[in-house]
Amino acid sequence: MRNISLTLKQFIKPALLALGLVILGFSTYAQGDLAKGKAIFQGKCTACHAVDKQVVGPALGPQLDQEPDEKWLIKWVQNNQALIAAKDPKAVAIYNKFNQSNMTLFADLSDADVSNILAYVRDEWKKDQQPPVTPAGAAVAEKGPSNIMILGLIGVIVVAFIIILVLNKVIKTLEKLILNKPDLLLPEPVEPVVPVDRYATVKKLIKNKKFVFFVLLCVSIAGGGWTWMTMWNTNIHQGYQPVQPIKFPHDLHAGAMQIKCQYCHSGAYKSKNATIPSLNICMNCHKTISARMGAKTPSTEIAKIYDALGYDPQTQKYDSTKAHPIQWIRIHNLPDLVYFNHSQHAKVAGLKCQTCHGPVETMKEVYQYSPLTMKWCIQCHKRTGINYKDNGYYEKMEAIHDRIKRGDKITEAEMGGIECAKCHY
Amino acid sequence: MDSNKKYWKGLEELNNEPEFVEKNKNEFPEPIPIEDVLTGGGLEGKTPRRDFLKALGFGVGAVTLAACERVPVHKSIPYLIKPEEVTPGVPNYYVSTYDGHAILVKTREGRPIKVEGNPNDVLSKGGLSAQAQASVLDLYDYNRLNNPSLDTQDASWSAIDTFVKSELGAIKAGGKKVRIVSSSINSPSTLAVIADFVAAVPNSKHVTYDAVSYTGIIQANQNSFGKAVLPHYRFDKADVIVSFGADFLGTWISPSEFMAQWVTNRNGKSLKGKKMSRHIQFEAGMSNTGSNADTRILTKPSEEGPALVNLYNEIAGTTLPGSKSTGNSSIDKAVKIVAAELKAAKGKALVVCGSNDVAKQVLVNAINSLLGSYGTTIDLDNYSNQYKGNDAEFVDFVGEMNRGEVDAVFFLNSNPVYDYHNGEAVKAALKQVRLRVSFADRNDETSAHCNVVAPGHYYLESWGDGNAIEGYYTVVQPVINPVYDTRQAEQSLLMWSDAPVKDYYTYVRNNWDKNLLAKGGLSGQKGWETLLQTGFIKVADKTPGTYTFSKDLNGVAQTILNQSGKLAASAGSMEVQLYQTVAMRDGKRANNPWLQEMPDPVSKVTWDNFAAMSPNDMKNLGVVQGDTISIEANGHSIELPILVQPGQTQGTISIALGYGRTVAGPVGLNVGKNAFPFLNFVNGTFQTAAVAKITKTGGNYIFAQTQTHHSIEGRNTIVRETTFKEYVKDPSSNSGGSLKHKPYESLWDEYQRPVYDWVMAIDLNACTGCGACVVACSAENNIPVVGRDEVRRRREMHWIRIDRYYSFKDGDKSVTEEHELSTMKDLDNVEVVYQPMLCQHCDHAPCETVCPVLATVHSNEGINMMAYNRCVGTRYCANNCPYKVRRFNWFNYWNDARFDNYLINEHTHLVLNPDVVTRFRGVMEKCSMCIQRIQAGKLKAKMEKRPLKDGDVKMACQQTCPTNAIIFGNRNDPNSEVSKMLKSERTFYVLEELGVEPGIGYQVKVRNTNTEIA
Repeated sequence: MRNISLTLKQFIKPALLALGLVILGFSTYAQGDLAKGKAIFQGKCTACHAVDKQVVGPALGPQLDQEPDEKWLIKWVQNNQALIAAKDPKAVAIYNKFNQSNMTLFADLSDADVSNILAYVRDEWKKDQQPPVTPAGAAVAEKGPSNIMILGLIGVIVVAFIIILVLNKVIKTLEKLILNKPDLLLPEPVEPVVPVDRYATVKKLIKNKKFVFFVLLCVSIAGGGWTWMTMWNTNIHQGYQPVQPIKFPHDLHAGAMQIKCQYCHSGAYKSKNATIPSLNICMNCHKTISARMGAKTPSTEIAKIYDALGYDPQTQKYDSTKAHPIQWIRIHNLPDLVYFNHSQHAKVAGLKCQTCHGPVETMKEVYQYSPLTMKWCIQCHKRTGINYKDNGYYEKMEAIHDRIKRGDKITEAEMGGIECAKCHY
Repeated sequence: MDSNKKYWKGLEELNNEPEFVEKNKNEFPEPIPIEDVLTGGGLEGKTPRRDFLKALGFGVGAVTLAACERVPVHKSIPYLIKPEEVTPGVPNYYVSTYDGHAILVKTREGRPIKVEGNPNDVLSKGGLSAQAQASVLDLYDYNRLNNPSLDTQDASWSAIDTFVKSELGAIKAGGKKVRIVSSSINSPSTLAVIADFVAAVPNSKHVTYDAVSYTGIIQANQNSFGKAVLPHYRFDKADVIVSFGADFLGTWISPSEFMAQWVTNRNGKSLKGKKMSRHIQFEAGMSNTGSNADTRILTKPSEEGPALVNLYNEIAGTTLPGSKSTGNSSIDKAVKIVAAELKAAKGKALVVCGSNDVAKQVLVNAINSLLGSYGTTIDLDNYSNQYKGNDAEFVDFVGEMNRGEVDAVFFLNSNPVYDYHNGEAVKAALKQVRLRVSFADRNDETSAHCNVVAPGHYYLESWGDGNAIEGYYTVVQPVINPVYDTRQAEQSLLMWSDAPVKDYYTYVRNNWDKNLLAKGGLSGQKGWETLLQTGFIKVADKTPGTYTFSKDLNGVAQTILNQSGKLAASAGSMEVQLYQTVAMRDGKRANNPWLQEMPDPVSKVTWDNFAAMSPNDMKNLGVVQGDTISIEANGHSIELPILVQPGQTQGTISIALGYGRTVAGPVGLNVGKNAFPFLNFVNGTFQTAAVAKITKTGGNYIFAQTQTHHSIEGRNTIVRETTFKEYVKDPSSNSGGSLKHKPYESLWDEYQRPVYDWVMAIDLNACTGCGACVVACSAENNIPVVGRDEVRRRREMHWIRIDRYYSFKDGDKSVTEEHELSTMKDLDNVEVVYQPMLCQHCDHAPCETVCPVLATVHSNEGINMMAYNRCVGTRYCANNCPYKVRRFNWFNYWNDARFDNYLINEHTHLVLNPDVVTRFRGVMEKCSMCIQRIQAGKLKAKMEKRPLKDGDVKMACQQTCPTNAIIFGNRNDPNSEVSKMLKSERTFYVLEELGVEPGIGYQVKVRNTNTEIA
């Protein structure tokens, strides 16, 4: 018998292994289809397509419902223009339906790749189509705690109420007992009323001239200091964070998405103005991205961009008659009497935007980070070395030639950067 | 050798008139009541306690309330869709054309803010006139017409089109005449549009009419050589230039081009080669050109003719019938000497005449032909298209209107009701015309009598082209969308004549594609785009032909002498000579405050015209400056104040045209008096001389004249000049070399200027005083216009002024001492020196030491900086400045309603340079050496990672100067142009004996005088 079991064991191990592998293999195959499809879909298709809605190209879910012919679809994806050129009726129909705009060719995708994409899209669409059925147990489990809580609370209140009633009853009984037997109560000893002056210490302190002087001194110092600070900081709006017409989240764009500052503020490297981007820059991305990741409904803030441009996301048409500018509220206000040039600082000096604007990539809404006072400017000009590396402008300057050669630090102030007319003209 | 001359800015200074002495003595032009306060009631006055408390309470409350104002919220509005080529904060430059000159228009965020010369401009090589500089302001003139109108009611363009077309249809049926009246047009496309219109509409004709006409020259060339053109004069090829009343450096034909030409034989480079042209001017009034001439012969208009005849006789060696002495020995003597000089310079001589008289011009042609000027200094083959007016045609046209033969007239850039000598007649005749269309972009005297006003675009909003000189084709492109609901005149004409191409841009494109691009070796879209970047195409000059005059001159001489006889004034009357001022020209830009406030180069009067008289005539008439007189000629009389003008020919009065507009914006309205009615129509042309009766009217008027403002107290070494002879002997002649003081022990620490030392060199020999720099500086630096009243109070704000100094010659001797003046017969023989005066950026600046708040300090680049926001307005600096170049802001000129006419409206604000702040009331300002340009130049070099090159940074004044009199640069760079110029032997520093170490070096003026001529 032992032999048999041994033999069985010998068989069972590989058999189980094989079975396991097969099952594993099957399951991975089934998942791989969708996963690969998802990867390719997100890599190559989402720029123009979504499963459930029209972006640049049509919504793929309903579109695929209409078209079961897998082979034709593969051909379409790989080279739709060939199909159109061959006057394939279906292809021409789609081409005409979508304003005769060509879909990008994906000759690099193999048939299997396209099948994977199709499988993924169909799967997603199916999921979308199914009414959001949640398992019954889960629903109960989900709702349970809240009901129990409410019932429990009601129970606790009721119990507490009963206890109060009972206790009241007990007290009343005890009172009755005392009334019936007055000896039980001892008369309290009457103490002579000595008027206690509660403010005695204060009065004493008030009479203490040293103390009064000290307090007055403290108050005037504190008050004077406060006044001084307030006046000193008049018209300094550090932390100024007005409500903007669009709640533009820098933390999302510059932080999470790591979009470079100059992608939008392109002027910072060319001009005195960093420039607030015009809306066509927004539309480079927001033509296809109309909501936060995962959100089903379009974002109201992004809708404001569409509104300002007179853009209709359904028809993808611009109506210039409806267009109106967005009136941002300027946060960093330098007085007219100062000339400031972004390119000088960002391009020539190679400063990071954050040096003056703070951690914009973490700001939900931007606020003024630096005081923007002249003192602040001057301090930086005194401390910061000029960026003369690889800049032919400084190379031939005899005055600083030797020091540059040595690699010394030469501050902006030494170059005349704290003179009046460098900024005031 | 020290200066042996006495210079003076005005007769008040010369004669030490009490008023002048009084004003000069004072620290401030206006009395300050310090004495009143310190003596008398000032200190004894008691303030009751209650009043004091009231004032205190009110003061505290008011200050608190004022401080409660909330910080304004600034909005930032980006483009919805940003044009690719626009980066906010970075200027874009577009090529265009002004008056036939290729120009660059600087725009910021889509709005033009400055006009600059195109350095490749064939005509003036990058220089621009004051008018061109000021033209950008007219774009934002809020008096421009906002929309078309029909019978003075606002109308839509479609209503206008329907009306004009139906009227034209009816007129066609009636068979009467249709006329297009325009000033000279040199645009090939516009001319083609008009030609198409004339072809499409029966009985129509194009009449060219210029307010200031050159018909005389054109007709004379037709008579002499069969070419009815204005020649292209070449002053650069002339060694001897003789001008009879032609103000070619100021107003005649193409002044900024002629300035560039004229200076090539007189500038530092030419002097180094020991070469200098000689310039002799015969004229009545002191013109800008005359003031720059080496020799100036005072000639009455009536003497001009005989002088020309005598000159011809001298050169030809014949005697024309009727020749006689001019009756003026100095002219007779001068003519002989000048003739000899001209003959000696045969082939390199040029005689020009400003008269519009055909006969005189024919005689001038004959003289030039004898001198071999044709083919050298006069080019009849690459002729000028700048003026084409035909006076007789216009006079005919007025007759036609009067006879009721004209049913439709179109006025294109033409305003005859104002500038025709008989404007009333035009006004009356217009009543007989059924359809009167004006294309004026702002209301003028003529459009007021038109039933259709179809305002055209301003040139900065237009497509078009120009052809100033044959073979030189320039392009006009719009640099801004139309500000108002206007439509280009050419477009309207295309619409109304039902032309096949109704869009003028397409028309211009077609015209260039078909006819013009090929001339520059360009073609197609690419060629057009190249053109829009270069701005012009230049066909190689044809070899100018030599023309020989072979017509009979007897009749011509007779006409000239007869005509001159008629001009000779009898007793009690004077000869009136009409001229244009450099700023106003023919008055079309009268509503431009920059031009109105620009001091006239010679008289230094702003905001007015006047009757210029010689001091002797004034003595005889018993009048003083400012007394008004009535001048009556041609049955018309005007009342004008008198200006004393040294150098004015005795017996003559000069009056400027272009003033006295009666329908214009608030700036130009009723400024001065209209002198156009004094023009005469004689022998087929309009002529600028007349005989007038003068009567005193008893009034007195105060000019807004900047002449003696900012006096520099008679220090004699401020301007220096020498003669060419002396210069050849010793190039450092009179540059103060021997006089140079021993350096003083300096009170100041020496500052390091390690990298740059910005300095300037100004060549007094090149400066003609034209004033373009003054306007360019105003445009670049947001300098406010203050208006006539404030100029009278000496509060003009110009950062750069051009000082005009007179000096005398008594025979051969220069007048050295004041007492010699009293012995002189008259004050006729004056010489003029112009000196641009601006902040000298002294290394030891006296203004810096007295500023109590350190608002003005020195930079390590040698610039005297002015921090406006630091200034508290003590004006100590202005007092301590020996050059008197600091200006105080007495008002907030930018938003004070009292300066309503000027720059306070929001449209005109668009012309401000956004890189320069506007200054607040109560602060001092002055030339900043265009620090914004220096900084921008440095930044550009840094961005391109290369060293700053000489010439990268140009000052606004330098850039516009047609004669390159101003050079700016880095003194630390020994190879820079300015270093070289400052090393010139002619260099001197104004008031260097004060030890302030000015940063601007001037070069001695050199006169190529001939001692034989008085």
